[in-house]
Amino acid sequence: MIEAAASRGALGLLRLFFIALVLFLYLPIAILAIFSFNAGDVSFPLEGFTTQWYERFLTNPTLFNALRRSAMVALFSSTIAVTLGVLAAFVLVRRNFVGKPAASALFFSPLVVPYVVFGVSLLVLFTAFDKILAESTGYFIGLGLHSVVIGHVVVSLPYTILTIMPLLERLSISLEEAAQDLGASPWQQFRRVTLPLLAPALISSFLIAFTLSFDEFAIASFLSGTQATWPVYLFAQLRVPSQLPQLVAVSSVIFFASLLLVLTAEVVRRITAKRYGEAFASRGLA
Amino acid sequence: MSGPLLWLILFFVAPVLFVAAYSVGAVGIFPSDTGVVSLDAWRHFLGGGSVYMSLFWKSIRMSLTVSIAVVLLAYPIGYFLALGVRKRKYVLLLLIIAPFLTSYLLRVLAWKVILGDAGVLNSFLSWSHVRSPDEPITWLLYSQFAVMLVLAYVWVPFVALPIFVSLDNLDRSYLEAAGDLGAGRWRTFVRVTLPLSLPGVVAAFLFVFIPTIGEFVTPLLVGGTSGYMYGNAIQDLFTRGTAWQTGSVLALFLLGVVAVLMALFGRFIQARSVTA
Repeated sequence: MIEAAASRGALGLLRLFFIALVLFLYLPIAILAIFSFNAGDVSFPLEGFTTQWYERFLTNPTLFNALRRSAMVALFSSTIAVTLGVLAAFVLVRRNFVGKPAASALFFSPLVVPYVVFGVSLLVLFTAFDKILAESTGYFIGLGLHSVVIGHVVVSLPYTILTIMPLLERLSISLEEAAQDLGASPWQQFRRVTLPLLAPALISSFLIAFTLSFDEFAIASFLSGTQATWPVYLFAQLRVPSQLPQLVAVSSVIFFASLLLVLTAEVVRRITAKRYGEAFASRGLA
Repeated sequence: MSGPLLWLILFFVAPVLFVAAYSVGAVGIFPSDTGVVSLDAWRHFLGGGSVYMSLFWKSIRMSLTVSIAVVLLAYPIGYFLALGVRKRKYVLLLLIIAPFLTSYLLRVLAWKVILGDAGVLNSFLSWSHVRSPDEPITWLLYSQFAVMLVLAYVWVPFVALPIFVSLDNLDRSYLEAAGDLGAGRWRTFVRVTLPLSLPGVVAAFLFVFIPTIGEFVTPLLVGGTSGYMYGNAIQDLFTRGTAWQTGSVLALFLLGVVAVLMALFGRFIQARSVTA
């Protein structure tokens, strides 16, 4: 098959190109990581090894506050997104109804709407709502982490649905029917049969939604108000040159942490997809 | 079924409708909003002459350049992984995709640090005596070049995926049949493989083109004034001052452009290839 696709020479060229692209992708990040241990500023020549930038960010309370806010937002938004994602995936896989194509298009449309458009739209909605609220009651809610959570749920939802759907399709419906025949209530059936079988997809969709939210800047920049999340804080601090080495250090840590999270999610998803594929597929439904 | 649908209607559809209403003056937020419904803001924007319209076309040109470059870079990668590798192709694919799944801001930051006048690249050049320290290459940062380079860098991993999927699903017996019928490898590629992978190429193109038209983060960090894009105009209109009505027109227009693109080419995009 390979022989039909490329000659030996062409294959060598393709391999070289692949290696070059991998270098292009990882080199900037590697440079960032190397300079986070450099005693001088972020330019050549390297001036010796230090961990002072790491020590400095570990004792920087505003930076930690921003990280904590992002973690909170990510935790809430991904929990909601996974819950809603399960419900949506069920509807899309197991139900047939009028308007299903329209509902499905709506579920996935956040994937193609530019974040800047979505961000300002929510800003307009919240501001207009607050104005009406203030005029009628004297109170208003204002922007903050809650508005960021709301926005992040919308953009994570398609990803969670897309991660849960394939597994749900492979799960034979007969397992649920068997539970029903054995006298399980719909809740018991969901809690004892469907949910445990779906667990791997839930974990990996949670991790995907979590990383997406934790790093998200565009929407958060419009909606966070005075409660800067980590990317919003990072962006604001980039204008202060003396802060740069410290930010590079914390950035490297977060880069590798999120890489680890995402790879875990991916491995969990692939392993279970394979296992379920063998155990449950091809019973008429998959 | 009502939960997710309700969430999207309240926080996704309703906001867009609000922006639409605001763009024609039907909703008031600031004291300066007159409450008079009119299409003036739209007329001004669409009637030519508006700086924002020329900015829109500039952004389209930049996005087009980036999208074409990215597809050209990603195609050989997809081809190599789908047809040139026997073992571990998913591991290698993950190697390409993984950067996309990590922080966007950090990847842009890395380039800002590399391309600056006193950045890694320029300081390396002067340190190794290739160039004098007084003459850094200034067009590296804060230029259209910087914006397009960084956008290409950011999107290549994501775009390799749909191309890989379309080539990986290709029925290999077609390639053998073409060979048996006397076609050489190049002819097989041009007449069989390439046409069959075109849907993946179109999807890949749209995956970059659509999000980059509205891009504002990358230009903000590495674009300077010459790299300023349409998305920056929207952001500025909403974050500085109260010209939200013009901003609403711009945002809605961009959404309309995306909707038209999706209506024309959306059938090439399978939402699933996002997580394939």
